[in-house]
Amino acid sequence: MKRRNFLKLSASACAALAALELGDRPVFKAAYAKARQAKTSLPGSLGAKETPSVCEMCFWRCPIVGKVKEGKLVKIEGNPKSPANGPRVCARGNSGVQLLYDPDRIKYPLKRTGARGEGKWARISWDEALDEVAHNLIKVKEKYGPHALAYFDHGASAEFMRDIFKTLGTENYTNEPAFYQCVGPAALAYLMTYGYITTGTRQYVDMKHAKAMLLIGTHIGENVHVSHVREFIEGLSNGAKLVVVDPRFSAAAAKADIYLPIRPGTDTALLLAWTNFIITEGLYDKDFVERNCSGFHELKKAVKDYTLNWAAPICDLPVTDMKRAILLLAKNSPNVSIHPGRHSTWYGRGDTSRHQALAILAALFGAVGVKGGLYFPTPVKKGHLSFGCAEEEPETPKKSLSEDYYPFASTFGSPTSKIIQATRTGKPYPVKLWGINGVNIIQTIPNPYQTMEAIKKLDFIFCEEILPTETAIWSDIVLPGATYLERYDTVYTYDLLTPYLTVRQPVVKPMFETKSSFWIARELAKRAGLKCFNYNNEVEFIEEELKGAGLTLKSLNEKGGIVTYKANPYRDPKKLKVATEEGKIMLSIEDFADEDLDPIPKFIPTPAPPKGYVRLVYGRSPVHTFTRTMNNKWLHNEAPENHLWLNDKVAKKAGIKDGEEVVLENQDGYRSWPIKVKVTPGIRPDTAFMPHGFGSRSKLLSKAYKQGASDQFMITEYEDDPFMGASSHRTNFIRIVKAGRVIDLPELCPPPKEIPRFSAKKTRTGGK
Amino acid sequence: MSQLAMVIDLSRCVGCHACAIACRAEWSVPVPYQRNWVKRMGPEATPKGMSFTFYPGLCNHCDDPKCTTVCPVDPEERVFKSRDGRKKKMAVRATFKDPFTGAVLIDKERCIGCGNCVEACPYGARYLNEELDDPKADKCTFCVERLAHGLEPACVRTCISGARIFGDLSDKNSQVYKLVSTKGALRLTSKEVNIGPNVYYIGKEKDLYLLKKTYAPHERKWENVKAPVRRRILQAAIKKLVKAV
Repeated sequence: MKRRNFLKLSASACAALAALELGDRPVFKAAYAKARQAKTSLPGSLGAKETPSVCEMCFWRCPIVGKVKEGKLVKIEGNPKSPANGPRVCARGNSGVQLLYDPDRIKYPLKRTGARGEGKWARISWDEALDEVAHNLIKVKEKYGPHALAYFDHGASAEFMRDIFKTLGTENYTNEPAFYQCVGPAALAYLMTYGYITTGTRQYVDMKHAKAMLLIGTHIGENVHVSHVREFIEGLSNGAKLVVVDPRFSAAAAKADIYLPIRPGTDTALLLAWTNFIITEGLYDKDFVERNCSGFHELKKAVKDYTLNWAAPICDLPVTDMKRAILLLAKNSPNVSIHPGRHSTWYGRGDTSRHQALAILAALFGAVGVKGGLYFPTPVKKGHLSFGCAEEEPETPKKSLSEDYYPFASTFGSPTSKIIQATRTGKPYPVKLWGINGVNIIQTIPNPYQTMEAIKKLDFIFCEEILPTETAIWSDIVLPGATYLERYDTVYTYDLLTPYLTVRQPVVKPMFETKSSFWIARELAKRAGLKCFNYNNEVEFIEEELKGAGLTLKSLNEKGGIVTYKANPYRDPKKLKVATEEGKIMLSIEDFADEDLDPIPKFIPTPAPPKGYVRLVYGRSPVHTFTRTMNNKWLHNEAPENHLWLNDKVAKKAGIKDGEEVVLENQDGYRSWPIKVKVTPGIRPDTAFMPHGFGSRSKLLSKAYKQGASDQFMITEYEDDPFMGASSHRTNFIRIVKAGRVIDLPELCPPPKEIPRFSAKKTRTGGK
Repeated sequence: MSQLAMVIDLSRCVGCHACAIACRAEWSVPVPYQRNWVKRMGPEATPKGMSFTFYPGLCNHCDDPKCTTVCPVDPEERVFKSRDGRKKKMAVRATFKDPFTGAVLIDKERCIGCGNCVEACPYGARYLNEELDDPKADKCTFCVERLAHGLEPACVRTCISGARIFGDLSDKNSQVYKLVSTKGALRLTSKEVNIGPNVYYIGKEKDLYLLKKTYAPHERKWENVKAPVRRRILQAAIKKLVKAV
C-alpha cells in the first residue's frame, strides 16, 4: 500500500466528532499564580515556577510541569490537569532533570577528527557544521541521485528534519526503527483488519473497563507508559481476570490469574487453536461476526486443523491450561481486552500473522468498540500546518528499496535492513549519505556489525544528538540538539480514552550551544537552498495549530497548558462501520492474497535453538528507555546494569550460580561483554532473557559505558517480515562462556518434530 | 494522638521506581543515598505460588523508634504544635518522634552527624549525608513539609499505579485505617524486631510472603550501637575539621 493511500485511510478512520471542551477549572490557574508569587526559600520543590510541557523521556509523551527555582530545573511532575496521568510521571519522567544536566552532553557542534567510531572530535561553529551538512546533502544528491540519501528518524526531534530529506526527493526519507524494529508488523496487521492503527505509538485497548484481559508477550509494568499502566491496574483492581502468555514470568505475569509459559515462537499456534476452538464450540459472537466481519467462512476453513491437542506439544502447554484460559476469555466476552501488543519484530516470518490472529480473536469475541475491548480513537482538532516543504511523495526509483521488496513496506517508509544492505553492497542502488535523528541505530537495528560496516562505506554521515551515543561517535558531524526541556515542538493531541491537547514548551533556556530541532532543520534547509519551513520560529506555527483548536498559546497556558475533550471510543455494534475498504472487519485479507501472502494466518514455526544453545529474548527495564537513559545519573543509580535471566534447572546442570559473571556467545560466534546471571525459575529452560539497552560501547558515556551487556550485539541473525520488511530480533541463540570455558546448555524441553532446528543457511544475515 | 501511616498495595505496584526518583528530586537526595527505595524480588517459588514483586521502602516512622534513643545530643525542651493549634512541651534529642503526627524527624540544626541513628535503624532507612560540609543524618519525613502546604508526599503523588495510600491511622474514616484494620495489612516485623513500623503492605499472599521472608529485619541493630557517646561526638567533630581543611 502506498503511503498516500494509507494516509487517506487514516483520515477516514478519523471521522471525528466535534470535540467538546470541558469547562475550564480555575483551580490550576490560582495554584499556579500562587506558586509563582511564593518565595523560593520554601523547602523541596515547593514554591518553584511551574511551566507546563510534554515529556519525551519515552514516546508516550505524558503532560508534565517543569519546576524551576532560581533558573534551575529542580523537579518534573505530571501536569495535574492531565486527564491521563495527572500529577504522576514514571521514574524516567522524574529523571528528565538529569538528562538536562548530564555532564556528558554534546555541548557544541562537533566535527570528527579520528576514525569513524573513535569518538575524536573538534569543536566547530554552527555555521561550519550546518554548511558542511548542507554541502554534503547537495553533493551526494547530485552525484548519485536523491535516493542515495537516507534518514533514520525517531521521536519529536526528528520530525522537522524529515521534511528536508523528503524535499530533496529521496524515497528513504523515513526509515523508522520504531516501525522496522518495533511495532511495524502489529501496526500493519491491525490497519488491514480494522482500518486504523489499533497499535502503533498507542494501543487502543480498554483495559480499564475489561472483565478479562489477554497479554501475549506484552509486559506492562516493565514497559511503562503511565496512562496505559494505570488502565491495566484499574482494570485488575476492578476485578478483571488476566491471562498472560510469555516464556518469562514478567511483572505482568506476576499479576495473572492464568499464566502460560509458552515455547517461544509458537504464539500463533496457540492463537489459531483458540480461534478454531471458539468457532467449533460456538463461543464466538455470531451476531457481531455476521454483521461486522468479512471472511468468516474462509477463516473457519483455514483454522479447522488447528486443535488444542495439536497445539499442546508445539506450544509446550497442557491442553487443560489452554482450555481454561480461552474459556475464561470467552466467558467475559465481549468485554475482553485482547491486547494488540506493540513490539512485534520477533521472528520475521509470521510476525504480521501473529498480530493478525490477535486482531481476529478480538473480532470473534465482538470485543471491538465496546467497553473493555478495542476502541476507536477520538481525534482532537488542531490547525493544519504547511511548512512549504514537499508534500507529494518522492518519485520512486526503478527498483525501490521499499515496495519492490516487501509489498506493504512503503506504508511506513523504507525497511532499515534494506537501507543497510544497499549501503553495504551498492545494490539495487548506492546509498551514500545517512542523516540520523533521535535514534541510536547501532544499538537498535539487528546486526550492528553490518551497520558499522555500512557506515564505513558512506560518503557522509551526520546526526542531531543530545548525548555522545554510539551513533554520534560514528558520525562525521554531530549537531547538538536541545533536550525536550529546552525547546518548543509542536502541539500534541491524545486520542485515547481521555483526549487532550497540549504543547511542548521550554522549561529552561537551551544550555551550552545547543539548538532546537526546528531551528536546526530550518537553518539546514536554508543552506541547502530548499524552500522549506516558512515560519520564523516554533511559536509562529504553534499559534497556527492552536488557532485551529480555538486557542492561543497564552490562553492555553492560562488553562494550565492543557485542554481536555470528551472521548468517543465506543460504537453500537449494530451500526459499526470500520475504515477498511469494505467497511467490515477483515478476517481474511484479500490485499495480502493479492501479493501472494497468506490472507489468513498460518502457523509457520521459527527454528528451535541448536543443541547447546538457548533462545535469547529481551525486554525492558522499567526505569530505562531503549539506550537513551543508561547514562542518566538517577536512573543509572536505580538500574546500572542488566542481568541474564537463566532457568534455575539449566543453571544447576551447567554449574552456573546466581550472580556469577559470564560472557555470552551467540550462534555466529560473537561474544558479549560480561554480564551477571540471575538464576530463576521464572523463565523457560530453552530461553534466556536480558533487559535491552545496556552495555554501551561509547566511552564518552561515562556512566553507561560497559555497564552490563548489549542484547543488540548478540542479534546478528535476522529475518525480514515478508509483509513489510521489519527485521526479527528473537532469532538468535546463546550459550555461556565462564572463565574462558565454553559451556553448552542442557536441553530440557526439546522441540517437537513440527519445529525444525536452527541451522546456518547460505543466505543468512549473521556471520562475521 | 495522630499517627501518619502509609499502606503500599503490592497488587497495584508494578515496580516502576517513580517513587524513589520523585523523592530524590523533591529533597535533592544525592546519589547513591536514598530516603525511598524499590528493591526487586523474584521470580521465586513460594508456597503460595511463583512471585515476582517489589519492596518499595521508606522510613517506617515506628511506634517505638529505636533510632531516636541512640542520639547522643543532649535533650532540649521543645514546644510541638498540632495543625489544629494544640501544643505540647517535650524534651527531645536531635531526632525524635513528633507527638502530633507520629513522624520521626531530625532537627538538622542540632544533629552532629555522628551516625548513631543511621546504624541503629533495622530497616536501613537513614543515611549520613557526607556530601555536606557538615554531615547530617537524613531520612524520609513523610513529607511533612509538603503536608503543611496541603500536598501529599512526593512518592504518593507520583505513584503511577496508585499503589501508595497515605493518611492518619488514628482517623477511623481514613483509607489507611480501613485498609489496615480490614485488609490484614502486613508490617515488616519479626520476633526479634517488632517496633511498630507504620508503613504497611497489602497484596497477593505470595508477594507478601516473599516480602516478609526477604526483608523483615531480624537484627536488633540499635543494640549494637555501642561506641561511647563521647568518641562518636569527637569523630563527628574531626570529620568536620577534615572537611574544613
